[in-house]
Amino acid sequence: MHATTQSSPLAGGRVAQQRRSVDVVIAEDSRIQAKMLERRLVEAGHTVRWAIDGAKALEMVRERRPAIIISDIEMPEMTGYQLCAAVKSDPLLRTIPLILLSTLSDPVDIIRGLDAGADNYVTKPYEPDYLLARMEALLDTPLENLDETTLVVLEVTLAEQKFRVKAPPQQVLNLLVSTFENAVAKNKELIESNQSLSVAKTSLEKSNTILTQLNEQVERSNARMIRDLHAAAKVQRSLLPGAAIAIPSTTVAWRYVPCQELAGDFLNIFPLDSEHVGMFVVDVSGHGVPSSLLAVTIGAFLTPKISDSSLLVRPGTNGGPPVVSGPAEVATRLNRIFQADEQAGLYFTLLYGVLHVPSGQFRFVSGGHPPLVRVPKDGPLQLIECEGFPIGFVPDIEYEEQTIQLQPGDRLYLYSDGVPEAMSESLEQLGDDRMKALIDSVRTRPLEANVIHLLDAVQAWCQPKGPLDDVSILGVEWHG
Amino acid sequence: MTAEPFRKLDVTKIGKVEVAQFKDKKILDESVLDELRVELFRLIADRPQLDLLLDFSNVEFMSSAMLGLLGQTHRKVNLLKGRLKMCGIAPPIYEVFKLTNLNKLFAIHKDAAEALAKF
Repeated sequence: MHATTQSSPLAGGRVAQQRRSVDVVIAEDSRIQAKMLERRLVEAGHTVRWAIDGAKALEMVRERRPAIIISDIEMPEMTGYQLCAAVKSDPLLRTIPLILLSTLSDPVDIIRGLDAGADNYVTKPYEPDYLLARMEALLDTPLENLDETTLVVLEVTLAEQKFRVKAPPQQVLNLLVSTFENAVAKNKELIESNQSLSVAKTSLEKSNTILTQLNEQVERSNARMIRDLHAAAKVQRSLLPGAAIAIPSTTVAWRYVPCQELAGDFLNIFPLDSEHVGMFVVDVSGHGVPSSLLAVTIGAFLTPKISDSSLLVRPGTNGGPPVVSGPAEVATRLNRIFQADEQAGLYFTLLYGVLHVPSGQFRFVSGGHPPLVRVPKDGPLQLIECEGFPIGFVPDIEYEEQTIQLQPGDRLYLYSDGVPEAMSESLEQLGDDRMKALIDSVRTRPLEANVIHLLDAVQAWCQPKGPLDDVSILGVEWHG
Repeated sequence: MTAEPFRKLDVTKIGKVEVAQFKDKKILDESVLDELRVELFRLIADRPQLDLLLDFSNVEFMSSAMLGLLGQTHRKVNLLKGRLKMCGIAPPIYEVFKLTNLNKLFAIHKDAAEALAKF
């Protein structure tokens, strides 16, 4: 409250000179507030009687007439309004000025106060000096001894409620002036709040500008990361088979669905020389950037480019034909290059096979990879295992390979564990048996249709969330 | 050993064997794996001839990336002439070990009692 500094039309400067001692009755149910007010009044030279509620206050007032009454509104026994009404309806007491202490939470409070005949209002919380000034002003202008006939009856509508206010003009005037003063004080506070708000607004605007700038930075970084991610995904797609795979006597079909933009899986199939075709599925543990980086690195070793450093095919001696490495040798050398210890525990599984096209001989090695599916032209499906630890697990081990003699019309499926380990919503895996049955059910249809059928089934199995692992399927049919 | 507690492992010493039980039901997230890596490596750091039993009884789901960590742990323990055994592996998780042939690399036992008897 700033009322102490303002010049009240009622509280003139002469108050200070005319110090007088009067008897005050306080009606206040809060002991602490009563004591604070009492101390201030006593300091100002007054005598004080304190009542804990309106009823007690009325008794005190009747017992000995005070010069003024100061009353709280909310009290258990007889409210401030009731006390006020009781005092103002008593011909002997009605000229005692009464100040109501209001929280003024509702404009209707003012009308109620008027109706009850209060002379003045002070809103809580108040500055004691302000209250004192009000009190002195009231004491300076004694209330005329009214008779009922001079009462003004006003009809007021406030907040859709009709009030009939019956109060002497002096009281109406006092109350209106005090209400006005309150409004002025509130207004002053509002203006100050407004000024603080405007300062806060300026600083908010500044913060906002900074935030906008930061946001733009984040967006730029984000856009860059998305570009990088797309670029990385593009590099990774370069590890996959090219658009046209032309291999004599052989049909190829493949599908590859990464579960995130960057995958740990990749597969490829390519001619190694005029007679041999190399093919593989690789599954690096984990997902995302670290796994895909390792996948790209592995991919750089698994190319059919003939060179001395190549793992798969080296130039022949003295200009002779190129030398194709055996699958076991490839796995053994990869295992030496990629030790999980040196790459934060990332390892990979691999199934690498070499098909000799003229004879149909298929040699393959597995580094901890799921078994191969063979679909003989006539006869039941076979899962063909080849034992071997994942690449990078055990240093300096020799991998062993398996050889299968294909018959014309035989099909082979290489795949990643994303197929048999596809998880349904109820956490059930697709499993080897279901996988075999799926392939078996459409074996008379073209290879491409088989691969698509298997992929569709995996994706349907994982509904509604979709596969949680990369899915790679590579199908090969040898025509003989 | 440091007094700092493990968040992902229940570690108790039975005889001369350090038994570390995984607390998590699911070892799937990279973050869980990273935390496990730090704690497992802290447990085995600089302890020659450590007998370590990893107990999987609480684990219901495990990503295959966990195998990489087990491989690293296996190698570290072996380098210091220690012994690593595993137990309490639920059948679906054992399938992952089988599929990757790692059931042949690791010493895997039915339960803690059987594993402890083999140290």
